[in-house]
Amino acid sequence: MDEFQEILQDFLVESFELIEQLDQDLVELESRPDDLDLLNRIFRVAHTIKGASSFLNFDVLTHLTHHMENLLNMARHGDLVIDADVMDVILESIDLMKGLLVRIRDSSEDSGLEVGPCVARLDAVANGTSVPSQGHTPPAAAAAPEPVAAVEEEPDYSGMSEAEVEAEIERLIAVRQAEDAAKRASNAPVSSSAEEEPDYSGMSDEEVEAEIERLIALRQEEDAAKRTHKAQESEAPVSAPVPAAPKADAAPAVKAAAAPAPKKVESKDDAENRGSVVEQTIRVDVKRLDHLMNLIGELVLGKNRLIKINDDVEERYEGEAFLEELNQVVSIVSLVTTDLQIAVMKTRMLPIGKVFNKFPRMIRDLSRELNKKIELEITGEDTELDKSIVEEIGDPLVHIIRNSCDHGIETPEVRLASGKEEGGTIQLKAYHEGNHIVIQIIDDGKGLDADMLKSKSIEKGIITEKEADIMSEKEAFGLIFRPGFSTAAQVTSVSGRGVGMDVVKTNIEKLNGMIDIDSEVGKGTSMKLKIPLTLAIIQALLVGVQEEYYAIPLASVLETVRISKDEIYTVESRSVMRLRDEVLSLVHIGDIFEVERVFDNSEHAYVVVLGLAESKIGLIVDSLVGQEEIVIKSLGEYLKGIEGIAGATIRGDGGVTLIVDVAALMQMAKSVKSTVGQESAEAKGRIGTKNSASDYCVMIVDDSKTDRTIMRKSLEPMGITLIEANDGVEALNLLKQGDHNFDGMLVDIEMPRMDGYTLAAEIKKYNKYKNLPLIAVTSRTGKADRMRGVESGMVEYITKPYSPEYLMSVVKRNIKFNEGL
Amino acid sequence: MSEKLQQIINKQNKALSGDDVKIDEVIQLVGFIVGDEEFSVPILSIQEIIKPISWTRVPQTPEYILGVFNLRGSVIPLIDLRSRFGLETQKHTEETRFIVMKNGDDVAGFVIDRLTEAIRLPKRDVGPAPDTVNEEESMIDGVGKQADRIITILKVGKLLERNF
Repeated sequence: MDEFQEILQDFLVESFELIEQLDQDLVELESRPDDLDLLNRIFRVAHTIKGASSFLNFDVLTHLTHHMENLLNMARHGDLVIDADVMDVILESIDLMKGLLVRIRDSSEDSGLEVGPCVARLDAVANGTSVPSQGHTPPAAAAAPEPVAAVEEEPDYSGMSEAEVEAEIERLIAVRQAEDAAKRASNAPVSSSAEEEPDYSGMSDEEVEAEIERLIALRQEEDAAKRTHKAQESEAPVSAPVPAAPKADAAPAVKAAAAPAPKKVESKDDAENRGSVVEQTIRVDVKRLDHLMNLIGELVLGKNRLIKINDDVEERYEGEAFLEELNQVVSIVSLVTTDLQIAVMKTRMLPIGKVFNKFPRMIRDLSRELNKKIELEITGEDTELDKSIVEEIGDPLVHIIRNSCDHGIETPEVRLASGKEEGGTIQLKAYHEGNHIVIQIIDDGKGLDADMLKSKSIEKGIITEKEADIMSEKEAFGLIFRPGFSTAAQVTSVSGRGVGMDVVKTNIEKLNGMIDIDSEVGKGTSMKLKIPLTLAIIQALLVGVQEEYYAIPLASVLETVRISKDEIYTVESRSVMRLRDEVLSLVHIGDIFEVERVFDNSEHAYVVVLGLAESKIGLIVDSLVGQEEIVIKSLGEYLKGIEGIAGATIRGDGGVTLIVDVAALMQMAKSVKSTVGQESAEAKGRIGTKNSASDYCVMIVDDSKTDRTIMRKSLEPMGITLIEANDGVEALNLLKQGDHNFDGMLVDIEMPRMDGYTLAAEIKKYNKYKNLPLIAVTSRTGKADRMRGVESGMVEYITKPYSPEYLMSVVKRNIKFNEGL
Repeated sequence: MSEKLQQIINKQNKALSGDDVKIDEVIQLVGFIVGDEEFSVPILSIQEIIKPISWTRVPQTPEYILGVFNLRGSVIPLIDLRSRFGLETQKHTEETRFIVMKNGDDVAGFVIDRLTEAIRLPKRDVGPAPDTVNEEESMIDGVGKQADRIITILKVGKLLERNF
């Protein structure tokens, strides 16, 4: 049963691949009905599927494909001219075939779809068009029995073996046959002889020797019959020599069972003759690739961490000899990791042609339906992108192209009246642009009319008149993506429900992509989709707000600007700023993510300008940390679907950083109440709460009890609160606990566990403590020591011994001690 | 051939289920303190117990979800059991631990005040949860009685269930 499933799987994968190719070939065929190569190729697909389905006992499918094959065979021999009507029937039957295959995939059965009418039509077309040339019908009829013979011959064969061979072996044969049939689609036209070959290797010598002999005799007969057919029909030259070859080989190979070797050569030749290049490929389960991708992700995290450690070590042991070696190793590891990542990413890449392939057929159907003349030009179908994106991009493109056909391209009369060519053109382009792939859909139709879009939107209540007035042309184009928007006067089967373009926007946003529309009335519309190449590992901009960090996918970041606070204006209780000639609405990241704002003393802010699909927003952050390659990890089942968060990543220091979901953030920004202007006042209120000397709090960090006591004694007269810590680690913990609000720290340099420099560096990592004065109290007096102190963020450097007065004055100055208290 | 194999498998299954019966009679729990009470969870539902490490706050979540932390490359939610049980939150101490529990594919870390011990409890000493708690909503699986104390056994599945 499992084996059967496996074969079935192969059969389905192969059939769908074949059909994909078929659609394109058929449309091409309509324009070049005389192309024999093309016809042969199409014929073979029908034949292959028929052959394989008969093995697998899908009678309905076999029945249908048999009649298709019949018709195509007639065309192949020139007995039937393929015109639009014939093509309609063929396309209909192909659709039916697809339907059956889908059914087989879902339920392993091919029942439930009515093929009778279609078969009847197929036959009618076959007979009907051949009426004038009645004399030619016999050859067509003669052509038909050939494939039929192939099918019938197989059950015959298995019937014979049933009599001869044990049941188990027999099953094996059947399995092998089917497997072989599925495997060698290219060999299809001569399947009956080729498919039998592996049986030799499948059976053990003693048991089958007699059988083989019989088979050879059988085949010889069959070949002879075929050759006579061929002589009559003047078959395609490719297939003629093929049946002869296995026969010649099979005879000496009875004992050696070496038949497979020549067979392989044949299939290669055959494939080459077919005109399509067969690449050396292996089919790999996507799950394995995903797993590999995950592992690479872990490696990238490890690499980031290594780089960070390397930087730290470099700082600490500057000038040491081993550093260079470490540097080399780190750079090699990071280089190889990057290459590895690219290599694995490439294995997941598929050409976008996979998606583009279905559009010629779609355009053909649509133009017939809409009575328009539309030509599709595809370029860049070899451009590759990640499999998961290829899967997601199909639907949006269908909607856009439908839209272009329906609303963009005018009817031939209108086009002629406005001095254009009768037939419209839709160009579908794909190309790389940096880390993105750009898919462009250009039509030479009537273009978008911004004023019309606005008035329609007001009519439908999507926007208010006021909003319409301030809208730029680009923003007006963006209206077509609003749910419920449609410019079509009536709902047709093609479009007009106002759903499609909304889907486009959602899907593109899901991929972190951007949409750019350009249009000119009367000239046409160009739609540009910009999509990142891969989803698992992305470049991100890390931003800080208070002590928190967030990663923003770089794909959505248009630019960053540093502005001063008074460049922020408030319009209708929303913060906005002027960016060149645009008005950009602003939102503070802290308001979106409920970050408690403790301090805010800088006059400047950073604005990250985010762009997604066709909208833009400015996100105010406290600091820009930098660009980093991050691996997207899910937050898991428990925390999934948190608004504004797309996932998490692990940073070089082992901490977790959340990734911003830009699409959701833009939605949230609409409802968030802005506090951009009010924060400073609030912060000021906090500082002014010192009412007595004991409200001031200073930490003394020293490993020597004596030193701590001396400091305490020196500062006690001030009446301030003093907290003692034994070393850096303890000091850091005290600070983190937040029981006290420290106004300053006295730090010894030489301490066990964590020294003063490290402590200072650690403290400065927290935004909250950026302005906390750190005073070094040490017996180290060297200039280098002082320099290091300054570098690590100390504001003052007191050398031991010192007078109590001096210490007190330094502390007073640094904590801004109010003498009046 | 396959028949033989089937026989062997059957035999092994029988042996296994036999063992199960024996194990079933005693349940093994890990006890811990949250607030003033001792709770416990089945030992098999615990992936590991670690000392507190730093975590990252996640916005738009209830207060008892402290955030997420990095456990050897996996991002795992961190839940404060004190605040989950409606108790006052407290600073982490030397004895604070994160218990990482799993139920199927669901994994989360829980902050507890301190560990007590591993407990072996005969099944007959486990009673049902008090009637006063609503069966559906209750996080309590049962109550274990030992010589001088009562141990509340928590439903790990319920703890790991998202309820916001």
